[in-house]
Amino acid sequence: MHLFLMIGLVAFSILAVLSRDLLKSAICLAVASIFLALVFFKMNAVYAGVFEVSVVAGLITVLFITAIALTRGDQEVAESRRHMLIFPLFFLILIVIDILVMKKLLGQIPAIAGSEAGTFGEVLWNQRTFDLVGQIGAIFAGVLAVLALFRQGGKSHE
Amino acid sequence: MNNLWILNMGFVALLIGTGIYCLLTMKNLVKLLIGLEIIAKGVTLALVASGYARDNILVAQSLAITVIVVDVAVIATALAIIISINRHTKSLDVRKLTKLKG
Repeated sequence: MHLFLMIGLVAFSILAVLSRDLLKSAICLAVASIFLALVFFKMNAVYAGVFEVSVVAGLITVLFITAIALTRGDQEVAESRRHMLIFPLFFLILIVIDILVMKKLLGQIPAIAGSEAGTFGEVLWNQRTFDLVGQIGAIFAGVLAVLALFRQGGKSHE
Repeated sequence: MNNLWILNMGFVALLIGTGIYCLLTMKNLVKLLIGLEIIAKGVTLALVASGYARDNILVAQSLAITVIVVDVAVIATALAIIISINRHTKSLDVRKLTKLKG
C-alpha cells in the first residue's frame, strides 16, 4: 500500500512535468498532493496531511488555475522535444544512482537521541514558537508582494 | 535506521530529481513553478519520513507545516509576478525575458 502511494506520487509528479497542457499539469500536481497527504496520514502525521490536502491540493491548485486562466491564449511556449525524449533516460540513471548511493549515504547520518512526549499543540506552541512567527511574517510578506505587484500592473495599464 | 526510511528517502530523491529536471529544461514560466512545487513536496516528505523513522513525528510535522506555508507564500508571489510579466511581454516564455541581459 505504502509503495503504491509512493509510486502514484512520483508518477503524477512526472505527468505534471511532461504534460503539454498547463491545466492538466496543475491537476496532476493536485492529485500528487493527495497521494502525499495519504502517505502523511499513514505515517501518523495527521496535521501535516490535513495541511497538504487543504493548502497544497486546494489553495495552490486554485492559484495555478487562476493564473493559467488569466494568461490563457498566450501560453503556447514551444518546449524542446529533445528534453521530453531524454527524460526517461535521465530518470533511469537517477533510479540507478538512487539504489546504489542512498543506503550508504543514509547510514552515515547519526541517530537523534530520544523520542518526544506531549501533543502536537504543545510541541508547536512551546518548541517551535519562532517558526510560527516566521510563518506569519512569510504570509504577510506574500500578501504585500501580491498587492504591490497587482497595483503596479493596474497603473501601467491606465 | 530502517528500510522504510531508506525507501522513502529514495522516493524523495526521485521527486527532487524530477523537479530539478523540470527547472533545468522547461521554458514555460508556470511549468518552472510546478517544478519548484515538486521539489517542495520532496522536502516535505523528507521531513515527515525522517520524523517517522526517528520517532519525532510531532517536530517533523510542525516543520513540514512551516515549509508548506512558506511554499504557499512563494507560489502566490511568483504567480503574481508571472501574470505581471505576461501583461508586459504577452508570453510565458522564459527566453523572452531578456530586458536585463547585458
